[in-house]
Amino acid sequence: MKHSYLTALILIAVIAAIAIGSQLIGIRLYDRIATNLLISLVLVVGLQTFMGNSGLLSFAHIGFMGLGAYTSAVLTIPAQMKGMALPDLYDFMKVVEISPLLAMLAAGVLAAVVAAVVAYPLMRLSDAASVITSFALLVVLYTVMNNWSAFTNGPRTLFGLPKTTDLPIAAIVAAVVVVVALLFKESRTGKLLRASREDEVAAAALGANIPHLRWRAFILAAFIAGIGGALWGHFITSFAPKAFYLKETFLIITMLVIGGANTVTGAVAGTILITFAYEGLRGTESALNATAIGAGQVVGLTEIVLALAMIAVMIVKPGGLFPNREIGHILTRARRKKETVA
Amino acid sequence: MAFAIQFVIDVLSLGGAYALMALGLVIIYGILRLVNFAYGELIMVAGYTMYLSSGSGLPWLVMAALAVAMAVLFGILTDYAAFRPVRAKSVTAVLITSFAFSNLLQNAALLFISPRPRNVPLPDIFSQTVSIGGAITPVRNLITIAASIVLLAAVAFLMRRTTLGIAMRAAATNFTMARMLGVPANLIISSAFALSGFLAGVVGILWIGRIGTVVPGVGLEPLLVAFIATVIGGMRSLPGAVVGGFLLALIDTTLNYTLSQDLLKFRDAFTFSLVILILLWRPQGLIKGPASGQRT
Amino acid sequence: MLEITGLSVNYGTIRAVRGISLTVARGELVSLLGANGAGKSSTIKCIAGALKAAGGSIVLEGQDITAANPEQVIRAGLATVPETRDVFPDLTVAENLMLGAYIHRRDQAGNRQNLERLHTLFPRLAERSNQPAGTLSGGEQQMLVIARALMARPRVLLLDEPSLGLAPAIVERIFEMIETLKKSGLTILLVEQNVNQALAVADRAYVMRLGAIVASGTAEEIRSGSDLSAHYLGG
Repeated sequence: MKHSYLTALILIAVIAAIAIGSQLIGIRLYDRIATNLLISLVLVVGLQTFMGNSGLLSFAHIGFMGLGAYTSAVLTIPAQMKGMALPDLYDFMKVVEISPLLAMLAAGVLAAVVAAVVAYPLMRLSDAASVITSFALLVVLYTVMNNWSAFTNGPRTLFGLPKTTDLPIAAIVAAVVVVVALLFKESRTGKLLRASREDEVAAAALGANIPHLRWRAFILAAFIAGIGGALWGHFITSFAPKAFYLKETFLIITMLVIGGANTVTGAVAGTILITFAYEGLRGTESALNATAIGAGQVVGLTEIVLALAMIAVMIVKPGGLFPNREIGHILTRARRKKETVA
Repeated sequence: MAFAIQFVIDVLSLGGAYALMALGLVIIYGILRLVNFAYGELIMVAGYTMYLSSGSGLPWLVMAALAVAMAVLFGILTDYAAFRPVRAKSVTAVLITSFAFSNLLQNAALLFISPRPRNVPLPDIFSQTVSIGGAITPVRNLITIAASIVLLAAVAFLMRRTTLGIAMRAAATNFTMARMLGVPANLIISSAFALSGFLAGVVGILWIGRIGTVVPGVGLEPLLVAFIATVIGGMRSLPGAVVGGFLLALIDTTLNYTLSQDLLKFRDAFTFSLVILILLWRPQGLIKGPASGQRT
Repeated sequence: MLEITGLSVNYGTIRAVRGISLTVARGELVSLLGANGAGKSSTIKCIAGALKAAGGSIVLEGQDITAANPEQVIRAGLATVPETRDVFPDLTVAENLMLGAYIHRRDQAGNRQNLERLHTLFPRLAERSNQPAGTLSGGEQQMLVIARALMARPRVLLLDEPSLGLAPAIVERIFEMIETLKKSGLTILLVEQNVNQALAVADRAYVMRLGAIVASGTAEEIRSGSDLSAHYLGG
């Protein structure tokens, strides 16, 4: 148990280092990258709470992020702007304008409620069917976002969200989410779930209601995704439904899987690593596009490299960089070993 | 009467295409217990092969055969790139590698061809219509029905009457035992991927024939259709995939005819809700697969 | 015929088989006895190629098959009947048998001949030819699995617990049939918990305990060995 505190401490220190470090450098671009990184961290750690404990892959996570982003948008876009930003919005909603912080919470709650309703029957499914239906769920959430013009302005870009997310806020939310994920992992639900992942029959024999446990984890993950979506919405201030689809899903799954889905440390490490790789590749892509040969035609290179990296990691280290143990655990073991040697 | 005929033809042509899509997915899943997320990209490959060969002056049927051959080739390639290296490690690993491979192919099309839709050559017959009992129907719907009947019968014959097919069914229930009888694992798996690619190739031409163009994301809808149809039909049963495909087509077509324009945009959401209801009632899908065996 | 030297099998860190050696001569019926968890089935699976050996060697008629995969082992002439009685339940009896002859699928005439011979040995299977194998009784399934293995025309047959979970009358018939097979000149390695019956048909026997061979000799020697029950009861 003690090493869990150490893990929390180290991960929070890493988050703080990213936030403070980038502010010390004082370059706006780095600030943007660091904030994006911390928001991705919220999402990836959120996904880890479900995937890491249940062992099931979920593709729907980004859908819940979108749900959160739109919820917060509808609740916070200033009343006088709503006529322009959301022309089809229902009248009674037009006057609503609450503080972004409250809206963020509402975003999480709504995502969690939707997850609770739609996911309950899905949690009973066997591994492949559950993955497939989570994929279908993502498509459905996307369809709804794309078409429910009253709330989302349809496939068009929604703008006018107050910009309230800055680096410190993102860092605080990320730190809280990391702690929540660690607590959940060590909770009774988390432990039973992880036991069920190893041996479903044995865990069921211990009295674990596995679908119910998965359901709880899924709701928590959706809640965090909703919060993450709101956080991102108030950072980017304008977005369209296509921001919550396959490309982003691929990205957060890459982050989690390369880092190691079973550990929160892995989620954090993967997010940091892939964010840097992604920014680097994007930079290369635009540099290529600026040259005569590229001529603005280079698209998808980043994704190709990331896809290759992901396949390579799966072949060499299928558990990711941190497959089983959290960083605190690794360090305490290393120290204990040193002590016994000495 | 005309309406009824129209409805039946719509359901059968859509259902035939859906059934073939689902079948291609289940053939792999039945044997390996692994989902191929890159399945939709085989349809994309067929489409781009048609586009790239359109200037060649070859007869259309040759181009179509070429497209199917490329889908078969990429099906086998999927095995080597995404399945074989990680198959023994974990189910999640394969889901992820095949998802990555799907992204890889899509972005390769984006990078090397174009993000914009590309025209696919189609014979005139695809755009003609005929009148059957007063119902005006595009000929391509009839072609789809005919092609799916022929292919479903061919697959049924292969799986029931040939040694390879019987060996594949055996491998689907107990891979290790099949190997102990001398059935080579790699042959079975490659055959499954080839057959899956073949179905994807044919269905790809029929599917793209409806729209006339191909884009990098063209495989998503067929993939989703195959997913939902197989979950409804029962993940591991070949007849289940066919039933699931036709049932999904029935649901979709009914919604197409009954929903207003406003609600029609949400068709996928309605379909999915129905799927949830079916799963509440039967978590295993409608048709139970063969008795379970160990994954190898 | 079959020579196993220093064979080890591990499941992760658990050592299920610890460097055992045994031989089976041509035409011989050798029994491998032992309690549950002694490592008998792991040995069989390893010989069949379904498990990787951690050490040692398996030689079949001078050919090293230690690292062979299952499909190579059967081609080398060794067929296995696993204890799990793995019929393909959705395939008919005839289809199951046809797959048994997979490695001889070009030799249709030979297969027909072989099938006729097996149908006289197992008349029940002929009656149920077109029935899904999953609908057969336990004893019939056992016969089907053995017949299917014989369709491969093996020179060595591994039988893992053929009497497991079957009614005494059926066990009786299974052993009669094993005797018939032995008389036909087939080399057999028989794994059993049913000691008395196994020793009645065997020429020689090995006793395994905790992954090692603790006794070996002719059937009579093992039968008269007073410590046999001790190996079973863990004494």
